[in-house]
Amino acid sequence: MLSVKESSDANVSTQAPMLDLHEIQATVLRLRPAPYFGSHVLLRIDEAQAGRELLRRLTPHVDSAANWWRPASAWLSLAISYAGLEAIGVQQNSLQSFPEAFRVGMAARSRQLRDEGVNDPENWEPLFGKGEIHIGLNAFSDSKEKWQRIVEMARGQYQSLSGIGVVNVQDFGAQPDDLNSLGYKDGIDQPPIEGSGVDPLPGQGRPIKAGEFILGYPGEAGVPLPMPQPDILGRNGTYVGYRKYQSRVGAFNRFLRANGSTEEERELLAAKLVGRWRSGAPLTLAPDVDNPALGADPKRNNDFNYANDTHGRQVPFGAHIRRMNPRDTQLTRLTDVNIHRVIRRGTTYGKPYDPNAFSQEDDEVPRGAIFLFISAKAMATMEFLQQEWIDEGNFIGIGSERDPIIGRQEEGAVFTIPKEPVRRRVHGIETFNVLRGGEYFFMPSISALKWVASLSG
Amino acid sequence: MATLEQTRTRQDHIAEKIKKVQELYADAPEVGRTALKNGLEALKRELAAAPVRQSAGRIGARRGKVSELTAIVPLAPGGGKRIRGLLDVLEGNFKGADLVGTLHDMRFVLLDNDTKLLFATTYDGEWDAYIDDFVTKIPNSMDILFCNCEGWPGIHSPKVKDYIAKTQYTADAWYVASPNLTVAEAWRLEKVGKAVDELLDKIG
Ligand code: HEM
Repeated sequence: MLSVKESSDANVSTQAPMLDLHEIQATVLRLRPAPYFGSHVLLRIDEAQAGRELLRRLTPHVDSAANWWRPASAWLSLAISYAGLEAIGVQQNSLQSFPEAFRVGMAARSRQLRDEGVNDPENWEPLFGKGEIHIGLNAFSDSKEKWQRIVEMARGQYQSLSGIGVVNVQDFGAQPDDLNSLGYKDGIDQPPIEGSGVDPLPGQGRPIKAGEFILGYPGEAGVPLPMPQPDILGRNGTYVGYRKYQSRVGAFNRFLRANGSTEEERELLAAKLVGRWRSGAPLTLAPDVDNPALGADPKRNNDFNYANDTHGRQVPFGAHIRRMNPRDTQLTRLTDVNIHRVIRRGTTYGKPYDPNAFSQEDDEVPRGAIFLFISAKAMATMEFLQQEWIDEGNFIGIGSERDPIIGRQEEGAVFTIPKEPVRRRVHGIETFNVLRGGEYFFMPSISALKWVASLSG
Repeated sequence: MATLEQTRTRQDHIAEKIKKVQELYADAPEVGRTALKNGLEALKRELAAAPVRQSAGRIGARRGKVSELTAIVPLAPGGGKRIRGLLDVLEGNFKGADLVGTLHDMRFVLLDNDTKLLFATTYDGEWDAYIDDFVTKIPNSMDILFCNCEGWPGIHSPKVKDYIAKTQYTADAWYVASPNLTVAEAWRLEKVGKAVDELLDKIG
C-alpha cells in the first residue's frame, strides 16, 4: 500500500496469475525484504464488539498480494487464532468447520508435535498456550522508518479500544547482513506456487498446486482441501503456524569449537549441519570451500538437487535443508515431497549472532527466530515435519538421528557426516534451538476480514 | 536409586494386582485355577515390569516406534468375491507395500462367508502421517483394494481418515519384540550385516 519500487528480482510469469491476489493477504506470498524490519503484535479480545471494531479499522491497512513480486516498502497482515474467532463472535457452526488441531491450539497438540521435554508447553513463556492470544498482527518493512510508521499506525488503532488487550509485542529483523540467530543467511528457498504469477527460480522445482497453500483451489491430490464455512470466510484464506525459538548460541559455538580445531573446520561443520555455508552457498555447488558470491545470487544459490550426492558426501542426509526439503533424495518411505512444504517467513529477533559467545549465560540471551509457517494445512504439515523429518531419521535412512538445528536432542545425540573411506560421527549435539511458545492462526482473505468485522451479536 | 518407600508402594501395587487376578480367576475352570497357583511367581515377575501401554495417535496401540492397526470392515455386495479373487492372483506378492516402507506386515482375513474383512498391520510411526502421501502417490492401489468395503468414500475424499478410524479396533493387548526397530532400520541393518560378513570373508 505504501510506495512500490519498480525493479524486482522475481521471475514474473508471462501468464496472468490464476489466484485472487486481491483477496489473499500480502504476507502469504510477498517475500521478506532485504534488509528487513518488523514486529509481531499479539492481541487479546476482551469484548467481541471491540474485536470487530478493530477489524473494521485495520482491514483497510491490510495489504493484498496483488503484484506481490514487486518489492514493497511496508505491509501489514492480520491473523486470528481459534480462541480469537470465538472471542470475536463467529457462530458455532462456523467454528466447528475448522480442523480439530486448529481448534484446540498448538499447545494442546504437543504430543503430536513432539513438543516435549524442554520444548513442552509447560516450559513455554507464560503468554503462550493459555488461549489468550487472539489476534496476530505482523508488519514487515525494508526500512526502519517505514516499519516504525506502520507499527505506530496499528498501535493507534488498537490502543484506543478498551476491549482489546496487548499480550506481546516482539520486534524482529534489523540484523547485520540479515543473518539469522546462528549466523546463517536464511529465507532462500520457498515453494513455487502454481498460478501465483511468478515462475519458479532455477532449482525450485515444478510449481506446486496452489490449494496446498491457499484455501479454495485444487491441491496436489486434484481436489481443494476442506475449507472453513461459510465460503466467504474460508476462501483465499490460509493457516499460519507461529513458533518462537530461543537460540542457544553458547551451546552452538561450544559444539563447533569442540569439533573443529581451525576456523575452516568449524565453518565446514557449520555448513554440514545446514547443507549451506553461512553465506547461503549450497554445499552441493560449493562442497569444499565457501563461495559468498554464489550464496548471494538468487538465480544460482538454489539451483541444485541431490542427484550427484546420493551418498550424502556433500550434504549429509541429516543436514537441516536435506531433511526439510529432500528434493530428489531417495527416501525410505513412500513420500510425496510436494505435499509437505510450507511457505516460510523466518523472522530473527534479539541480539545478533555472536561468534564469541561461549557461556551458558549466552544461551539465555534473548535471541532466536519466530517462524511463520503458511499452508492450507499448516497444522497437519507441522505435525508431519516434527514427527517424521525433524525428530526422526528413519525416513532418510539414518536411524533416530534428529535435525541438528531444530531437533530436540536426547542424551548421546550424534550427527553423521558421510565420508570416504569411513563416515565421521560427531558427538555432543545439543538442542540448539528451544521452543518457547507457539500458536496457530487463520489468515483470512480481505473479504473474510470484512465479513467477520460485520458480524452481529 | 529407589527409596525404601518407593519400593514398598511398588510391592503393594504388585500385591494388589495379584489379588485382582486371583479374584478374576475365582470362578475359572479347575485347570486355570491350578495353573494360576503354580505360575504365581512368574506372574509376579511379569507384573513388576514397567507399563508400556501407548497410543498410536487417534486410534490403535503403539510400542516405541511401531504401531498396530486392526480393522474389521463389512464388505460391499460382491466385495468379498473380488477381494478373494484379487488376493488369489497376487499369490502373496505385495511389491507396492515394499515401496511404502513403513509396513512391517499386512494380514487379510475374510470372515463370515466373505462378508467381512479383518485387516491387521504393524506400521512405523503415527496413525495418519502418510495417508496424504497415499492419496497422491498410490491412489489407484488404495481404491482397487478398498472399494470393496462398504461405504468406502474413495481415497480422495476428505472423509477417508474418519472412515478408517471408524472401522478400527484398538488392540486390547499387543506384544512387540523390537519396539525400536522400524522397517527402514531393519533393512539398513540387513545391509550392514551383509557388508560386515563380506569384509570378514575378505580378511579371513
Ligand atoms: C531457529 C530455527 C531455525 C534456523 C536457525 C534455521 C536455519 C535455516 C537455514 C540457515 C536454512 C538455509 C537457507 C534457506 O534455504 O533459507 C534453512 C532452510 C530451511 N529451513 Fe530452517 N531454520 C530454523 C527453523 C526451521 C523450522 C522450524 C523449519 C520447519 C518446519 C524449517 C524449515 C526450513 C526449510 C523448509 C528450509 C529450506 C530447505 C530447502 O529448500 O533446501 N526451518 N533453515
